[in-house]
Amino acid sequence: MPIIEGKNVSLVYEDGTKALNNIDINIDTGEIVYITGPSGSGKTSLLKLILGMEYPSAGYLRVMNQLMTKEQASNIRRLRRKMGPVFQEFKLIKGRTALENVLLGMRFLDNYPNDIKEEAYNALAKVGLEHKISSLVENLSWGESQRVAIARAIARKPALILADEPTGNLDVDNALNILELLTSLKDEETTVIITTHATHLIEKMKEGKLLQVHNGEISCESWGCSI
Amino acid sequence: MKSAVYNFGYFMKEAKTLFRVDFLSNIFSIISIGLIFFILAMVICGWWISSNVVEIIQKEAEINIYPKDGVDISNLIERIHTIDGVREAKIVAEDEAYKRMEEILGREAHILELFEDNPFSSFIEVNIEIEKADSIVEELEKIDDTEYIRDNKKVIDRLQNIESILKVIGVLAMAATGILTLVVVSHIIKQGIYTNREQINTLELLGAPEFFIGFPFILEGLFLTILGGIAAWAMVNLTLHYGYGQVAKALPFIPLPPSQTLGTNMMLMLIFTSIVLGLVGSLFGLKSAR
Repeated sequence: MPIIEGKNVSLVYEDGTKALNNIDINIDTGEIVYITGPSGSGKTSLLKLILGMEYPSAGYLRVMNQLMTKEQASNIRRLRRKMGPVFQEFKLIKGRTALENVLLGMRFLDNYPNDIKEEAYNALAKVGLEHKISSLVENLSWGESQRVAIARAIARKPALILADEPTGNLDVDNALNILELLTSLKDEETTVIITTHATHLIEKMKEGKLLQVHNGEISCESWGCSI
Repeated sequence: MKSAVYNFGYFMKEAKTLFRVDFLSNIFSIISIGLIFFILAMVICGWWISSNVVEIIQKEAEINIYPKDGVDISNLIERIHTIDGVREAKIVAEDEAYKRMEEILGREAHILELFEDNPFSSFIEVNIEIEKADSIVEELEKIDDTEYIRDNKKVIDRLQNIESILKVIGVLAMAATGILTLVVVSHIIKQGIYTNREQINTLELLGAPEFFIGFPFILEGLFLTILGGIAAWAMVNLTLHYGYGQVAKALPFIPLPPSQTLGTNMMLMLIFTSIVLGLVGSLFGLKSAR
């Protein structure tokens, strides 16, 4: 069953920049999808559309059966509670500890967890930050901040993880660990979409679907493409 | 709902953080709100006291009739009783009149000793329904046996005028303080939202409901007005403690309500006003900032 379904989707920003051009996209529940492509190719724009930060200028896009249009803004906001976004710039909340940041992403979920602190702690442990739970996020390194952002996303137990360059600031070992952690969520029926430049790392992953984006178009949709 | 209950501690902590981030500005806001509420409380005090006085005086509204010499008093009293609106009519003898004046003058009563004889004459005291005062006086004037009729209507009318003026001032003061408080609180909330716009944006992207994002700001607004209300109440209490006794001494003939009752009423009014204005101001600030 498709979790994301799009037909002839285009995105043109207000200033006239064409980000995506007439793309078709179909992602099934539980799939692992890597989106690669050069800078400015439209990877992040595609994630923004899926998260509802932008709306298609043309075509239609459905995420978890929700039509992604401006008119549906309040429903899309509710839909986001089923998603686990990892932003390129982390979007962690300053003045709060790593644990508080993870907790903050869980406090308003429809299925509010009873053992919220334990789950947040477990998520931080999974990304190897159990020793930093009480550190203020502004005192963490870029790599550590990135892992807090990932912990915040997975702690929400979302149906869909949208990770924008989640390994961008990590060394190879940590990057591989994170990719393995994200792909392991497949077992929990979680769909994971990862944008990355790190093609040398995703080549090492054993499963998943590859989408190559170039000039706002999906140029290739299989592992057979040259990456 | 479940998350709202579980998150109450978080909301309180967030509101405290918001308060701390803009500490100085918040302190000045509390002082301003406290002073605004104090002015409001003083106007309402004046209004309440004056309406209380008018009410007491109205209950004791009476007309004094000085009969002509040699008139049959009991006959006259009977006639007065037949007039519509008269509650009671009784004779007040010279000695009783003297005693009453002594009570009114209190410590100044020694002034009466300057007179060799009792300067007061006996009269008939008629307790009336104030709204029928005009027709009663008209009827009394028709009776030949009366020498002089003294009604207190002018005094009561004047008090009623003062009361209605204070009522208008009170309503205006309430409107002015309401608007001022709303402006101060909503401005602080808007400032807080602007300072925390990145955090709010992140929470929106994570799917946080409006209520979850806005509630700490509403709590912050409530903190401001409630603390302002407490400051105002402290000032009102000080004023009542030091000023009320002075007024009561200076105007012994005015039946003032007890200062404790006044203090309690003002406290209730300030609690209610600060909660309502805090809520409305915060909601207004949230609405106009988004």
